[in-house]
Amino acid sequence: MRSSTKKRRDPMALFAVLQTTFLLALLPLRTYQSEVLSEPLPLTPESLNVSINSTKQCLHLQWTVHNPDYHQEFKMVFQIQISRFKASNVIWLENYSTTVKRNQVLHWSWESELPLECAIHFVRMRTMVDDARIPAPRLWSNWSSWEKADAQNSLGDHPLYVFPKDKLVEEGSNVTVCYISRNHQDNISCYLEDVLIYGRQLDQNVWAFEFKNVSFIRKTGTNFYCKGQGDPEGVVLLVSKVLEEPRDFSCETQDLKTLTCTWDPGNDTGLIQLPSYTLFESFSGKKTLCKHRNRCDWQVTQDSQEMYNFTLVAENYFRKRSVSILFNLIHGVHPMAPYSLFPKSVSATNATVTWKVYSIGSSSALLCQLQLLGEGKVIQQHNISVRVNGEYLLSELKPDTEYMARVRCAYADHFWKWSELISQNFTTAEAAPSEAPDVWRDVTFVSGHPTVTLFWKPLSKVHANGKILFYNVVVENLDEPSSLKVLSVPAPANSTKVTLNQSSYQIYVTAHNSVGPSPASAVAISGHPGNENVEEGRMNGTEDGFPMSWKPQSRNATGYVVEWCDSPQHLPCVLRWKNLGPTNTDTVISSGAFRPGVRYNFRIYEISTKRMAHLLEKKAGYLKELAPSYNPKVNMSNLTSHSFTLSWKDYPTESQTGFIQGYYVYLKSKTGEKCHRGFEKTFLTDNSVCCKYTIDNPDQKTFVVKDLQPESAYEFLVTPYTSAGEGPLDDFRKVTTPDEYSHILIHIILPMVFFVFVIMIICYLKSQWLKDKCYPDIPDPYKSSVLSLIKFKENPHITIMNVNDCVPDAIEVVNKPEGSKMQFVGTRKSPTETKVGCLGQDNTFTVSLYSCDGITVKGYVEWEFLSGLAGALSLWTNVCQAPTCCVAVFSHARVPFPSLCPTTLNVYLSYF
Amino acid sequence: MRAQRMQRTLLSLVLRLLLLCTVATGKCSGKYHELLLQLQRQADLMQDPSTLLDPYIRLQGLHSPVLQEHCRERPGDFPSEDALWRLSRQDFLQTLNTTLGLILRMLSALQQDLPEPTNAEMNVRGFGNNIHCMAQLLSGSSDPKAAEPTQPGPGPTPLPPTPPSSTFQRKLRNCGFLRGYHRFMRTAGQVLRGWGERQGRSRRHSPCRALKRGARRTRPFPEVRRLAPRGQPPR
Repeated sequence: MRSSTKKRRDPMALFAVLQTTFLLALLPLRTYQSEVLSEPLPLTPESLNVSINSTKQCLHLQWTVHNPDYHQEFKMVFQIQISRFKASNVIWLENYSTTVKRNQVLHWSWESELPLECAIHFVRMRTMVDDARIPAPRLWSNWSSWEKADAQNSLGDHPLYVFPKDKLVEEGSNVTVCYISRNHQDNISCYLEDVLIYGRQLDQNVWAFEFKNVSFIRKTGTNFYCKGQGDPEGVVLLVSKVLEEPRDFSCETQDLKTLTCTWDPGNDTGLIQLPSYTLFESFSGKKTLCKHRNRCDWQVTQDSQEMYNFTLVAENYFRKRSVSILFNLIHGVHPMAPYSLFPKSVSATNATVTWKVYSIGSSSALLCQLQLLGEGKVIQQHNISVRVNGEYLLSELKPDTEYMARVRCAYADHFWKWSELISQNFTTAEAAPSEAPDVWRDVTFVSGHPTVTLFWKPLSKVHANGKILFYNVVVENLDEPSSLKVLSVPAPANSTKVTLNQSSYQIYVTAHNSVGPSPASAVAISGHPGNENVEEGRMNGTEDGFPMSWKPQSRNATGYVVEWCDSPQHLPCVLRWKNLGPTNTDTVISSGAFRPGVRYNFRIYEISTKRMAHLLEKKAGYLKELAPSYNPKVNMSNLTSHSFTLSWKDYPTESQTGFIQGYYVYLKSKTGEKCHRGFEKTFLTDNSVCCKYTIDNPDQKTFVVKDLQPESAYEFLVTPYTSAGEGPLDDFRKVTTPDEYSHILIHIILPMVFFVFVIMIICYLKSQWLKDKCYPDIPDPYKSSVLSLIKFKENPHITIMNVNDCVPDAIEVVNKPEGSKMQFVGTRKSPTETKVGCLGQDNTFTVSLYSCDGITVKGYVEWEFLSGLAGALSLWTNVCQAPTCCVAVFSHARVPFPSLCPTTLNVYLSYF
Repeated sequence: MRAQRMQRTLLSLVLRLLLLCTVATGKCSGKYHELLLQLQRQADLMQDPSTLLDPYIRLQGLHSPVLQEHCRERPGDFPSEDALWRLSRQDFLQTLNTTLGLILRMLSALQQDLPEPTNAEMNVRGFGNNIHCMAQLLSGSSDPKAAEPTQPGPGPTPLPPTPPSSTFQRKLRNCGFLRGYHRFMRTAGQVLRGWGERQGRSRRHSPCRALKRGARRTRPFPEVRRLAPRGQPPR
């Protein structure tokens, strides 16, 4: 809580000044009167009136003091008491001292932190003369009667009110909000930005909410509202951010006519009502209300005022901030940027640039700075004094080069600040190339004739002096000086191929741009191949490249050339070379294209005085050796029960990621037996144990694994190793040794199978003979070898039984004229009679058919002997061929009758 | 900030002048269906709360459920849905025109409280012009007076709502007004779509033919009245 007297001090101060002046004027009179006022005057305040200012939430008091002496004025003290809700509840006591004139109406205000609408206030006061002219004792007057200030009277009949309405507060301050509920039964809930809050009950129907250190939420204010049965009531707290003091306040002029003062206003206060900015100049006493929140223009007067004392005042409802500067007009000239900057007369090495400036005053000059930039860097800088037009000749320029000219100016009389820069680009004209192209060659001999591929490097921009359009290649046959061959190769080609004969040649290469040719590069070619049988040496690369050295062969060498391929793994080779002087015998070859794990081959040439190149040395190396990336494909052979042979002859050692130093042969056995002789026990990454054999000769590409156990499973792996490590250990192959005797079995079984096979072939080829021999269609007991064997071994008396000796029990012939295969053609008649004769001596029998002209007869005979043996034979056919034949005799039907006599002999005939 | 406001006011003024110029010199489309479709689309555009109401609520901090409950349309601010359906086409257009005038005044008052930029005012004016064209088309009049653009100006009714005394109540009041505005435009769009549907169903009656027929009679829009969805009270 604070008094309004503390707040608005300006009017009060003015009032105090006037009052003092008035008192001084009355001093003589007062001296006179002091003699009169010899007794204390108990003055009582009268006509105390209390009013409410809801907008400012102030109680305004107005009263008079009855002064019996009409000519006196006194210094008095007014003690004011303010109570809330009831007179006895005093919440404020303040002594207000002032000088009172006759019949003067006195005013005093008090700002309440609690909205005045939410409480009845009571005010009373008493007075005491506090003037030195009045002798002690000084006594307080009687209290005035309590005056009531009740804003609730003016409220309507709404059930709920919330106060204060539309409160404007500064961020960080405290605010008290209250509500009045007319309905005691109503349950009121209050929210601050959607958050339910609880207040403090001040009276039966009044609740207050105190918000400390309020913060800015949004420009449209912080919402506080309460809700009962009806519509919500609320207030909007317009929170302003604290007005900041303007920073970086400065002024300058561009033309000595208008001053422009700028500043950084700081953060926005966040309210729709913006703070005002006023510029005040103390020497002239003038001020202006600024139109912008960060800039203000000030018109320079014609009275040649040089010094200015500016005060910038920023002000809003809550605060007033000010900053001051003392400004000398001449010292704050910031010229406008020059204009119309143009290059003219631009040659290959010179250019003239011109520009214009805005004049300042009538006789002032500007100091202009001309900068020449090439590739973004300032390479020339010149200061020129300019009044209106500036001009400068730039020299020592490079041909065909883009430059930027920049100009800025400052006030020459007193330098304070450069103007803004203006810039203009221009490009100088071309000139002939200044340096010969760097040329190298690759010579191959086809059928004894040299084919030369010429390579050259593009000229650098510095030496090209323009766009290279083409290259001229002049081939001069040294053996026939009159013959010249000229080739023109359009840019940007960087090589060409020339086929020569076995003469000696001198080749000249020149680069041409639009202005002319470059100096020529010369290369000499011999018609015969040089010495290529140079042993290749090895070297190690470093981070800087490949360091190498060589031994000169000739004392008259004019230089050396080292050549190599940047990407040897990719074809065709991109040939690179490096020229070295005659005194160099070592160098470091570096290239951004060099990669670890790639083998680079270098050839060092010595250049003779005749520009002829002779191969000095060959070197191979890796920038950094890597472990082999893959293992060789291993063939396994000669597997026996105790050994097998491994070979990897296809593995190329030249194209690996490092120099192959040898191979490791890994062998794992399932049984985990001891490592054999020459192997050493080692642990793999998976902690498995295996045996390792080291082959330290990279050219050895076979290995015999010996001393194995028969019928045992093994795993093996062959991996190369370099100085960086070995190859991947992830592709073990399995092998199982065979049984120890299996090879013997193979030696036996194979011939037997072969023999059987041969027998089978023979049998097949001689099947007919065999059949006839072993199982003829009609066996002949007399020809049976079996019988002869039996006869020979067991019973020499055994003989072949003669069928004539047997009397068959019955012979039956069955005709089947209805059989499906019985066919009678034409008028043929079925046989009227058949007769089977007895078996003849040669076991034949005869069947007689009558009227059987042209009939084909088939027979079937079966027999049975007394001994129980039985047999059957489907056999003979015959055709009655003679038309007149009426009897068909089957005389060759042989029945394999042994010596036993059959008991039954059935003969079946069918004819058709 | 003040400069921005000035710029916005200037821009608004320029746009208004440009619009007036366009309206004054522009010609109405004589195609009924094209015009009706345009009106429907404009109504659809303006009924979308995300164009005005939602930004207003966000800007003023009225998003709490308690306040949302009381951000509601006040009776009398806009014609009710029933009333709009009961109107004849002619009266419907007249009511729309009058209400648009009220909306324009409110939008102008709300300009400071709305996020920028908003095209609401331009949309309302464009809608008003098309209403004028539709009225002209329906009347079939070549009278220059009838051809004057319908400027959504001050109509006889309703009066704009009286601004409440406190900022808080003004926020709620504006919120309710904007909600009513979107509701009103939604209803207007539905009524306009009803025109199209009925026109489709009674395709045999071309609006022009019907209107010409009506023009020969004494009643200005007999067919329109007949087509009114819920009948027309006798005059």
